[in-house]
Amino acid sequence: METSFALTGKGYVLVAADTTSARSIVKMKIDEDKIKDLGSHLLMAYSGEPGDTVQFAEYVERNIRLFQIRNNYALRPSAAASWIRRSLAQSLRSRKPYSVNLLLGGYDVAAEEPHLYWIDYLGTSTEVPFGAHGYGSYFALSLLDRYHDPDASLEEGIATLKRCIDEVAKRLVVSPGKYKVKVVDKDGSREIEI
Amino acid sequence: MSIMQYNGGSVIAMVGKDCVAIASDLRLGNQALGISANFQKIFPVSDRIYLGLPGLATDVTTLVNMYTIKEEREIEPETFAHLVSSTLYERRFGPYFIEPVMAGLSKTPSGSFKPFIAATDLIGCLNFAKDFVVAGTASEKLFGVAEGLWEPDMEPEDLFETISQTMLNAVDRDAYSGWGVVVHVM
Amino acid sequence: MNSFASRFATTGHIQELKRAQANAEDDEFSDAAWGSEAGFGSLAKGVPSFSVPTVPDPSAFLRLHTDDHADPKCRIKIQHGTTTLAFRFQGGVIVAVDSRATAGSYIASGTVKKVIEINPYLLGTMAGGAADCQYWETYLGIHCRLHELRNRERISVSAASKYLSNLVYSYKGMGLSMGTMICGWDKTGPRIFYVDSDGTRLAGDLFSVGSGSTFAYGVLDQGYRWDLTDEEAQELGRRSIYAAGHRDAFSGNTCNLYHVKEDGWTFIGNYDISKLHYDGPNNVDGAGYGYEVRVGSRSQ
Repeated sequence: METSFALTGKGYVLVAADTTSARSIVKMKIDEDKIKDLGSHLLMAYSGEPGDTVQFAEYVERNIRLFQIRNNYALRPSAAASWIRRSLAQSLRSRKPYSVNLLLGGYDVAAEEPHLYWIDYLGTSTEVPFGAHGYGSYFALSLLDRYHDPDASLEEGIATLKRCIDEVAKRLVVSPGKYKVKVVDKDGSREIEI
Repeated sequence: MSIMQYNGGSVIAMVGKDCVAIASDLRLGNQALGISANFQKIFPVSDRIYLGLPGLATDVTTLVNMYTIKEEREIEPETFAHLVSSTLYERRFGPYFIEPVMAGLSKTPSGSFKPFIAATDLIGCLNFAKDFVVAGTASEKLFGVAEGLWEPDMEPEDLFETISQTMLNAVDRDAYSGWGVVVHVM
Repeated sequence: MNSFASRFATTGHIQELKRAQANAEDDEFSDAAWGSEAGFGSLAKGVPSFSVPTVPDPSAFLRLHTDDHADPKCRIKIQHGTTTLAFRFQGGVIVAVDSRATAGSYIASGTVKKVIEINPYLLGTMAGGAADCQYWETYLGIHCRLHELRNRERISVSAASKYLSNLVYSYKGMGLSMGTMICGWDKTGPRIFYVDSDGTRLAGDLFSVGSGSTFAYGVLDQGYRWDLTDEEAQELGRRSIYAAGHRDAFSGNTCNLYHVKEDGWTFIGNYDISKLHYDGPNNVDGAGYGYEVRVGSRSQ
């Protein structure tokens, strides 16, 4: 089952998403990147209905890029979250709504703060210190209540993220095999191996 | 599972002597799973009006953004209640899943202020009550406790205590509300 | 009197049933003569018997009125939300449960006892149908005592759980709903068995059952080691129930904590989950388990 996690730390946001792309009972792909770079300091992990996910992610990516080209500056994480939320809320009452759940992590260069938003397919958006989507959330959220530290260094943050991944691997019946992990901080976003 | 219970949450407003109070919980859930303990459901509309929006969280945000007043003059609570009612009825056949609760102080011709509370259902049927109005997943429980605790002409301190105890005790009997409470007194 | 003695002379589920039917036919003595029946009136006649609705398919009839997934307005609500856990470690067994009972979104009670004290060496936990668990685990207690009287030694946890497992299996398909852990200490040391109404019976080191079990596992798995001290183990059990009570809407209110050692179980305490959130188990202001309480003093 699809699972994604994200957590904030001192000056960074860590975002992790599994890399399997499944159709019925078959794994079609095992190295799919489900975290999109929406500019230099913004990451978005997406999961949900196959087809909708990539379509919506690319729609968001291009609109955020368009904003940057037109205005010569990038949307801050909170503004991007509001725009994405509104897109989903509008889509919800359209003929064919997108079924996409998101974790939007970004580093606000102006305020020098990391921000993380939990957004679901209904357009529910809330800022959280850590978040998760999919069945993994039922295991990870209590774990993060216990172990998450908003002032943790990147190494400590990665260790906490590993706990989440291990726990889901241990307890979830159809747990994902591999995860892609990305981090965004003052220097921008990059992928990290865990 | 009703869509009105998907995210959980409750709001209550009460009238006192020359004062009003409005309170809500802070939980945002995904059915049984708690997501956030800091989801505001009460928003200031003007200096004298608070709007509480329990129901589907996506519609809470959508409506709040809609009600960011652009006019450069104050709106009276009664007028605002009718505005809310009309906007909801506009979506009669595809409603916003929200049951708004309003609390405010309205100006009387003599220049003093009169407490005002109102609530509507999700398609805008107005309910102007003289004592208290409730909405959300704990509404039955709120009715029960408020019916027992509320009395006319309470001073602000007593009103605060009454609405707080009502909220706290109702929320303790509701699985979908809780995770903290905020109270506003005007 | 012979007929009464013979009632308990041999074991076996089917035999007892047959005997109960025979007894029902020639009942010379009133059962009330043997003192209070305490709700186990049918037990004096061997195995309990139940009235069945006079419809062609009784279990379908029951399902119609108890399945609130299919019909939220069904007349009989069965308690679904719960968190229970038990784990084995160097110092014995820790059993911890919450105390919330819900009917739909209504919190019907916050003071439910979800640990059933079967005897001084055996505990049973309760998840699923409250009445089913309560009735059958008390019934199990009666049979554990009878085993003791017949065999002059305590029943093993394995045998007790097997007895329950076989019993609920014989009712499979009729709508029983239980997910329970039978915990205790016998000749072999500390033991835990998971038994449910499907007929599953599993021996293990660590289990959690109920709607909040995933949240409990999240904390439990990460903090679990065999060589935990008694205090650490009790803290882990309490912390895990708190985690579930916090995140799961259908679990909460209070945590009941038990510790089973070689000389039987002891009740450690009852902890209010809101108090654990803000003040922790030792009631120190601001030393709570809550995330916001824990990190609140620092920046986000």
